Amino acid sequence: MSPARTAARLLRLYPLSWRLRYGDELETLILDMSDGGRVPWRIRADVAVAGGRERLRAAGLGGDSPDARVRGGAGLVLWAWALLVVAGAIVQKTSEHWRQALPAGSHTTATVAFDGLIGVAIAAAVLVVAGIALTLPALTRFVGAGGWAQIREPVTRAVAITAVFVAATVGLVAWAHGVSPRDRQGYDTAYALVATVWALLGAGTLGAWTLAATRTAARLTLPASLLRVEARLATAVTAALGVMAAVTAVWWVSVATVAPTALTGSFGSRGSAFVPQLLLAMVLMLVALGLAGAGARRATRALPYLADDD
Amino acid sequence: MTTRSRSDEATAGRSNDPPLLILTSLAAGEKHGYALLQDIEEFAGVRLGPGTLYGAIGRLEERGLIEAVGASGRRRPYRLSPAGAEALRVALDGLRAIVDVGSARLAGSPAALSPTGSAA
Repeated sequence: MSPARTAARLLRLYPLSWRLRYGDELETLILDMSDGGRVPWRIRADVAVAGGRERLRAAGLGGDSPDARVRGGAGLVLWAWALLVVAGAIVQKTSEHWRQALPAGSHTTATVAFDGLIGVAIAAAVLVVAGIALTLPALTRFVGAGGWAQIREPVTRAVAITAVFVAATVGLVAWAHGVSPRDRQGYDTAYALVATVWALLGAGTLGAWTLAATRTAARLTLPASLLRVEARLATAVTAALGVMAAVTAVWWVSVATVAPTALTGSFGSRGSAFVPQLLLAMVLMLVALGLAGAGARRATRALPYLADDD
Repeated sequence: MTTRSRSDEATAGRSNDPPLLILTSLAAGEKHGYALLQDIEEFAGVRLGPGTLYGAIGRLEERGLIEAVGASGRRRPYRLSPAGAEALRVALDGLRAIVDVGSARLAGSPAALSPTGSAA
């Protein structure tokens, strides 16, 4: 591949706004440093890492100042929460019939774990909503001062994808009324395919709003006292994510031990507790936990460097 | 809670900090990206990557510490702004204080007097 083409590809790792400002200069520098030959791997790695960093900044998750680190850390926790919501939806769908499928008196541990999961999820959701609500006065001031233009793009995109998701939901619900319960469990391939696309659209909607939230938060003027509260909320949400991942594992193991077929749905006959959807949910939860841990650490470590409010 | 002063990339005082190296290089006059890299390697022995360089240039420009010369171009030069000169001065003062203290302590250190590192 020619150096020019490699440089052009590397530049695509950067956000568009950054490319428009520095793209030509960086491309020229990469070519100058490559001296007419192949672009060295050292340069490729450096540009790739720097491009990722700029992407994080554009998403409101990067930055070097203490307040940017707190915002970015809290933003990472919000992304982790969004992932957890997707994982939770998968667990919810997979666990629709598990209580009925277990023998009477055999599901104490599973019940405690599952109820605990629901309880902690509600508590964590309250913390996330509180963290967002606390920024609303600053958001109102920001929009009032003409800041709408800076956040119009991500918010408009989120509204548009939400509209598509709502329309898809209405269509899917109408279709579901004409499909037998058995087919809704995955025995109708066309329905299962459309339901999967709908679920991906739902996850995309959640992602679009999360991106809009973190990009907006990066532009708000937030006092240090509020940033300290946000960092602590982020830590609490991270702890909740850890508990949720643990109790989900406990629930899964306890159900699998007593009645392996309980997780394959009321029409299941495969007899295995290793349901791929649950495995995916657990992986998502662990990724969310890792993200949240990194975010909470980043936010908390920046706290001592925050300037006091005037 | 104990509150420390705001951390600042340009005044962090680490001698291998890309922003500090860029400000130091531009103190000698305006330069474009490639010239900056060559100069930094010459005076500090540090080989910055192009992504690292332009990441730091973006931050410094955003904070008004450096400014682009000319409207556009593929080899656009940058120069130090008055705020950048002041930030560089503060950073160098910080480094100088460390150098002075370190030198004074080293001069009185038994380890520095004996080539084997043991006190005489």
